Amino acid sequence: MGKLTIDDLKKIKERVKRDTALREGGSTVKITVHMGTCGIAAGAREVMEALLQEMSETERQDIRVMTSGCMGMCSSEPNVTVEMKDKDPVIYQHMDANKMRQVFKRHVLLGEAQTDFALARMKEPQHEGEDRI
Amino acid sequence: MKTYRTHLLLCGGTACHASGSMEVKEALEKEIVESGLADEVRVIATGCNGFCAQGPVLVVQPDSIFYQKVRVEDVPELVEEHLLKGRPLKRLFYVEPASFETIPGLEEIPFFSKQLLRVLRNRGILDPEVIDEYIARDGYQGAGKALLEMTSEEIVGQMKKSGLRGRGGAGFPTGLKWEFASRSKGDIKYVLCNADEGDPGAFMDRSVLEADPHAVLEGMIIAAKAIGASHGYIYCRAEYPLALRRLDIAINQARDYGLLGKDILGSGFDFDLEVYQGAGAFVCGEETALMHSIEGKRGMPRPRPPFPAHQGLWKKPSVLNNVETLANVPQIILNGGDWYASVGTEGSKGTKVFALSGAVNNIGLVEVPMGTTLREIIYEIGGGIPENKKFKAVQLGGPSGGCIPGHLLDTPTDYEAIAKVGAIMGSGGMIVMDETTCMVDMARFFLDFCQEESCGKCTPCREGTKRMLEILNRITEGRGEMSDLDELEELAVFVKDSSLCGLGQTAPNPVLATLRYFREEYEDHILEKHCAAGICADLYQAKCINACPVGQQVPGYLSLVAEGRYDDAISLIYQNNPLPGICGRVCTHPCTDVCLRGQTDEPMAIPQIKRFAADMARKKGFSITINKAAPKGQKVAVIGGGPGGLAAAYHLVLLGYEPTIFEELPKLGGMLRYGIPAYRLPRDILDQEIQFILDAGVHAKTGQRVGRDISLEHLVEDFDAVFVAVGAHKSLSTRIPGEDRPGVRGGAEFLREVELGAVPEVGAKVAVVGGGNVAVDVARTCKRMGAEVTILYRRERRDMPAYEEEIEDALEEGIELKVLVAPKSIRERNGRLVFELDECELREFDASGRRRPIPKEGCVLAEEYDTIFAAIGQRPDLSFSQSVESRRSTIVTDRRTLKTNLPGVFAGGDAVTGPARVVDALAAGRRAAVEIDKYLAGIRGEAPEEERKEEISITMEVPEEVIKQSMAVMPKLSPEERIRGFAEVESGFDEEMARKECGRCLRCDVKLG
Repeated sequence: MGKLTIDDLKKIKERVKRDTALREGGSTVKITVHMGTCGIAAGAREVMEALLQEMSETERQDIRVMTSGCMGMCSSEPNVTVEMKDKDPVIYQHMDANKMRQVFKRHVLLGEAQTDFALARMKEPQHEGEDRI
Repeated sequence: MKTYRTHLLLCGGTACHASGSMEVKEALEKEIVESGLADEVRVIATGCNGFCAQGPVLVVQPDSIFYQKVRVEDVPELVEEHLLKGRPLKRLFYVEPASFETIPGLEEIPFFSKQLLRVLRNRGILDPEVIDEYIARDGYQGAGKALLEMTSEEIVGQMKKSGLRGRGGAGFPTGLKWEFASRSKGDIKYVLCNADEGDPGAFMDRSVLEADPHAVLEGMIIAAKAIGASHGYIYCRAEYPLALRRLDIAINQARDYGLLGKDILGSGFDFDLEVYQGAGAFVCGEETALMHSIEGKRGMPRPRPPFPAHQGLWKKPSVLNNVETLANVPQIILNGGDWYASVGTEGSKGTKVFALSGAVNNIGLVEVPMGTTLREIIYEIGGGIPENKKFKAVQLGGPSGGCIPGHLLDTPTDYEAIAKVGAIMGSGGMIVMDETTCMVDMARFFLDFCQEESCGKCTPCREGTKRMLEILNRITEGRGEMSDLDELEELAVFVKDSSLCGLGQTAPNPVLATLRYFREEYEDHILEKHCAAGICADLYQAKCINACPVGQQVPGYLSLVAEGRYDDAISLIYQNNPLPGICGRVCTHPCTDVCLRGQTDEPMAIPQIKRFAADMARKKGFSITINKAAPKGQKVAVIGGGPGGLAAAYHLVLLGYEPTIFEELPKLGGMLRYGIPAYRLPRDILDQEIQFILDAGVHAKTGQRVGRDISLEHLVEDFDAVFVAVGAHKSLSTRIPGEDRPGVRGGAEFLREVELGAVPEVGAKVAVVGGGNVAVDVARTCKRMGAEVTILYRRERRDMPAYEEEIEDALEEGIELKVLVAPKSIRERNGRLVFELDECELREFDASGRRRPIPKEGCVLAEEYDTIFAAIGQRPDLSFSQSVESRRSTIVTDRRTLKTNLPGVFAGGDAVTGPARVVDALAAGRRAAVEIDKYLAGIRGEAPEEERKEEISITMEVPEEVIKQSMAVMPKLSPEERIRGFAEVESGFDEEMARKECGRCLRCDVKLG
């Protein structure tokens, strides 16, 4: 790397900011891939891979990907929960890589919940302590 | 750039390095790869996270989960549970020391949530070895602004506006310093960074360099522009290898990016710097010595002026700033001086980083706004003192600073406010000390440090500190004299005033501050050869002996019991204490709190063994021989037949006097009889031990109240001396409306009536207000009388001053405990009392180190009771005399001689101190006897009696191996059996248990070699 100008500083900042922003906590969208044993067996890992690929292609810095355990409905796995600020969380069921990409593009980025894949819309944050979004 | 869903921010500071964080990092990385998460999860070694005591610490983001004390063995489970299955691993969460609550989230841990991070804003977030990450967090934006948009005057102007003062300790305004240097004429100027952090207890600068080295470099670039320098040095000690390594990486990266070197950011401004490694001399933290050291000369200070701003390094104008000062600079330039000055006090702006260490739960690095009180830092952020010990003092500024005692904890962190109480802000070392610290030894330690670090150039520092150290050594070895204290003070002032540099000028500070706040401790060392903390080796007998107010030879009698020599054991106990069966049952045992065995598993059951020895003596009918001095034919009146009076009378007999006890109540014993119920202290034991004292040659006149039946003046006339030990028997009032209604009574008065046989009617439902032993005793007594009892206390259970064992017993017996309620008023309805209570919440910490209960708005409870007891404390009844001087309802005496304002009249115990422990009253009685002997011998023109003790041979051997074994458990009656009557709850050890327990003693009284 050669000598920086003030604009180069800004470019580096933009490029790296997403990483460091993640470490400061706080976000407007939280996507939880349920990765209990049942979820992983049903293909949650592929769902996660697809999600991370989508994540790397977006400029957005306010999206967090989390994992959590089985929700208790193993037969509906892989499950993914999308929580957006000031909106009720939506749980998706029987997810795969393609559905994940669609949910990310439509729901996460554009705010259109994909009701075809949805298992339920929840009224409350799922678990105590998970309402930090 | 690759996207990871989770970042594991593992602390890579020096403290976490030392506790194994790099091994954990390796294990994490390996496990992540093996679990197929390499594309999802990334591990970053950050700079110091600040919470060093909990290391290695790991923060998982974006989840904001905080893990502490992570070991390599924890890694597989952590990865499997948290990273694969998304279930945070609870067992590695932080546990709040005050409440024992498990807290997972970073923001919820008070240690973090109460801090304001400016200097440390990147800690635990950045990889300090990656410059891009610093840039992503606004890095080098301040330098860009300064170089491209601002003039030197504008930079200085913003710095002056910010009010930033030198964080190295002296607090000189940074803007002003820069202004001097910028106006100074010269072709070459230097910017220097003082990273020679060397005082014990300080690790702020090291941590900043490790966590955010670029912030310091950026600060130096801005300083260089402000004063017109093109070269800089960072003077960092060689003993900070990690800081040096990260600085080196940072400098190379900055050079690669052209942020150091020629034409920085295309501004036409040139600046470069290098690191100079110091060899670790404390004096090199002084600016002129530091510059000499860089010049390759011996690190010694020179007189100022000329000041470095005019003639510094190589006689060129120079600016020297400390690491923390420089790390503040980029933010000030970026956000403006006004932004910086928006927090802080009038004279001290911004934030300050403190290295919090010592006797505090949360050891680590803390950044708070200036003006935050010491109490907030130590209690709110630091989590208070571990193991329920008492706060004693906090040392600010290390060897150059002073200590601040408990009553000044509300002092704000402000340069002037701290100087006013005799300490200095210093560079940020904050060492908390609890009651186990000896202040004389502490002062000696710091002076020893300064004396060794003195460069020797000027005589006051070189010789003065040496002489002072000799005096302190003498005192800690028990060879001190009272005149030493004056000499110490004189020398201290001389060294302070006449030393050449800051090292000598501040070296006497710890001595002066301890003399100011803890003079009594110096006097104890000199006059009584006693070090209560048990620290000074020459004054040390054993942890338990030094802690015991009457100096019981604990390891001796434990060893005798272990050998089955019970008669020798009881004789040894009697040398210091005439009430062993009583103390064995009700003593609050300060000995077990310090017991060395407690560090292995559990402390020794010291009072239980004393009780066993006393019970054994009674059962087997051992005769205890009393070694009395020759009769002196002088009489002493003792007012009050409680533990203080009894002990005084007993020891007076041993010294050859003829004491007479005057007691108002029908029987002797005082609070032991009329305050402690029989189920804790059986009356036959009490009667027998009192009888032994009477048989030794003590007269007693019961039913005689001084001030009513006989006047104090009369006693003074009839007797050669008088000892007043009237105790504290009057209940304090709750001061609420309705407290004078019938059915509302004092707790202490009630216990007395019960003992007198008046058995007052309490009704079916009883409330007891208070959290001390009297409250618990009243509650348990009422329960035994068949009532349903509730104890009402305004704080939390853990704050109750009553003994934990007693509270537990009370709850077992079916007594209800309602906490966080404070009395508001008492009304009457249909012949019953309606008790209104405010529900409370705990707010800030008060002088007692506990949180203050404050009534919650609009939360009032009302309950009906038949009887309400106030048991919130007692005070002495001093109506027996108008002529004895008193202050706040207690008698005023000389602390050591126990003399009152009246000649020949001495006083001690609760009447002087307010309600205290039985063992304190015993100690006061013993002291009174010795002092009265000194007084009367003086009148007779004789020498006072020497201490006479029969030699009892004790085996002096330490156990060869220590096997983990818990303290023996005291057998007790079941709760159902207990509440049927007043039978003793605890039944005592049997012979086998007792001897086995004694074998656990580590014998820290045995001097080896």
